Amino acid sequence: MLDKILLGHNQFFGVNHLEAQTGNQKEAYFSDISRIMDIINFCFENGVQAMMMSTHERARLLSEEIQRDPKLTKNLGIYLLVPYAAKYIRQANEKGLVNIVRDSLSATTFQEKLGMFWRGGVGLLTKDAKKILTAMIDFEVAPFINLNLRAIFLHDVLTDLVLGWNMPNVLELFAAHVQEKYRAIPAFCTKNLPKLMNLLEYTAIKNPLMMASINKLGFQVNPSREAFEECLHTNQLRLLAMSTLASGYLKPGEAYEYLFSLPHVESVVVGVSRKDHALETFQEIRQNWYVIPSS
Amino acid sequence: MMKVAVVGIGKMGLLHAGIMNALDGVQLCAICDASKFLLDFARGLKNLPVYDDYLTMLDKEKPDAAVITTPVFLHVPMAGECVKRNIPFLLEKPLSITSTDADNLVKEIERRNLTTMVGYMMRYIETFAKAKEIMTSGALGRLITFNATIYVSQLFQRGKGWRYDKKESGGGVVIGQATHLIDLLLWYFGQVESISAHTKNWYSQELEDFAHGYIEFRSGLSGWFDSSWSIRHHRLLEVTINVHAENGNLTVTGDLVKLFLDKKAEGYSQGWTNFYKPDLFEGVKIDVGGPQYTRQDASFIDAVKSKGKVESDVKNAYEVQKIVDAVYLSASKHGEPVRL
Repeated sequence: MLDKILLGHNQFFGVNHLEAQTGNQKEAYFSDISRIMDIINFCFENGVQAMMMSTHERARLLSEEIQRDPKLTKNLGIYLLVPYAAKYIRQANEKGLVNIVRDSLSATTFQEKLGMFWRGGVGLLTKDAKKILTAMIDFEVAPFINLNLRAIFLHDVLTDLVLGWNMPNVLELFAAHVQEKYRAIPAFCTKNLPKLMNLLEYTAIKNPLMMASINKLGFQVNPSREAFEECLHTNQLRLLAMSTLASGYLKPGEAYEYLFSLPHVESVVVGVSRKDHALETFQEIRQNWYVIPSS
Repeated sequence: MMKVAVVGIGKMGLLHAGIMNALDGVQLCAICDASKFLLDFARGLKNLPVYDDYLTMLDKEKPDAAVITTPVFLHVPMAGECVKRNIPFLLEKPLSITSTDADNLVKEIERRNLTTMVGYMMRYIETFAKAKEIMTSGALGRLITFNATIYVSQLFQRGKGWRYDKKESGGGVVIGQATHLIDLLLWYFGQVESISAHTKNWYSQELEDFAHGYIEFRSGLSGWFDSSWSIRHHRLLEVTINVHAENGNLTVTGDLVKLFLDKKAEGYSQGWTNFYKPDLFEGVKIDVGGPQYTRQDASFIDAVKSKGKVESDVKNAYEVQKIVDAVYLSASKHGEPVRL
């Protein structure tokens, strides 16, 4: 069973899709990690015991903080999003793609942590594309391995790239690895849900867990809100809805009323940075939540 | 089915290949890269012809269009080989190391009337396009002055790779990133009369990490720009342009457009009118790394099919390159104004 409400963490790390300046101000406030923990604890006490987490540099620190608390370590459900794309895009600008992979794969701490079977070392490993991919996933997941990992999402930058390149085999590889190695739910974040569902038809992945933006405005919904709704009505999937407020553009009431008029919404990720706002948001969602038929 | 080949499988090559391959009636037919590692990697995941030599790829695959996403010093020679073969191409920005490098290329493309595009994708971001619409409408009256910035937190130590090798990239933040801003300024404001600029190296030895300058346009508008890839607290590349005009002022960023008018004009109200991204958003066929790239690639493909126009072709990019030359020249003379 998925957690119905997930605490997002973009607001803590300066991500704001409406206005970068607002994002930067919040990042400054939450540079003190105890302020983030305060919100997490507050949400936990108010029944929201799950969190979406990217592998942002600062999320690693957050992971360490959470591990200081046995209650959170055991009971806070973590929905991990890998890899942290912005970091790799920056690194790609800084040193190029090849060096990113080389540097990640040859990090000694990484070898030790995962006790990987190296054989010929990096040289041999880099000849096998599938091994590179799974090793990169492991590298990303490592700092979070002691947390209660419920699901691992492939970041939309990668999911959608794989979709464009038409490589369903990569999605299968990801799903199998997450299931086998981490016993977590393999999942996909995407900006192109209908198109991705079409591609998944050709794979062994059934009734997948998907994270995608959906809101009444159709903001960040591709190719259109209508096509997205149609996809929900005609496919078997579990949706973790994000950007439900269109980055704060919509009022919670109208936003959730719309959201729960759609089928297959099993989870909602919310970005709250204040306690009063958190309570208000949870209440709005709970009030509007529908009873999921037969699940 | 239109066949598209991609030269250079770095970050931008991966992106364009993915988008092109997902557009209706288009198929990625082959890729080329100098890195054996990347080619092996691609071969391990997808059944697709891969080449380590782009000329062999162009001659064997005979693509209907090419995407060139290689380090800057390779742009002109590679684009030139496409021109020789009459292959339309989308080239990542900037066009060249210096504008002189591209003189012959520009002439030959005009002579052959070949469809080209250069990757100044910001024209395809909704907010910047909206600002263009407002400025073109004349609602602001005559434009008086502007200030513009482009910042990203990218480099806080010496960079590795071709982007930080002047021979391969042509320079630092000016040619690498401020070109996006310069392209927008030319798009909005027209031809430049003169520029004075200063640059500063800090983290890089041979390249400028900071640059600012004063630009006078032929229209009488003037203002300054500031650019850096070494400014903290800018997770993503952020562009801001403020324009002050006779009838009001306008601010545009990648997130919003804020318009203020003294008097209503051209269908825009008096006072503040704000457009946020959700107001302007339109879905795309596939979004890989931002809808602007899809719009850009789709517009290139449409232009190839119909011999139509694109935003930002080689000729536009050539104008940007002349500004880059002027910025570097002025900076080398301690900000002495350079006339275009």
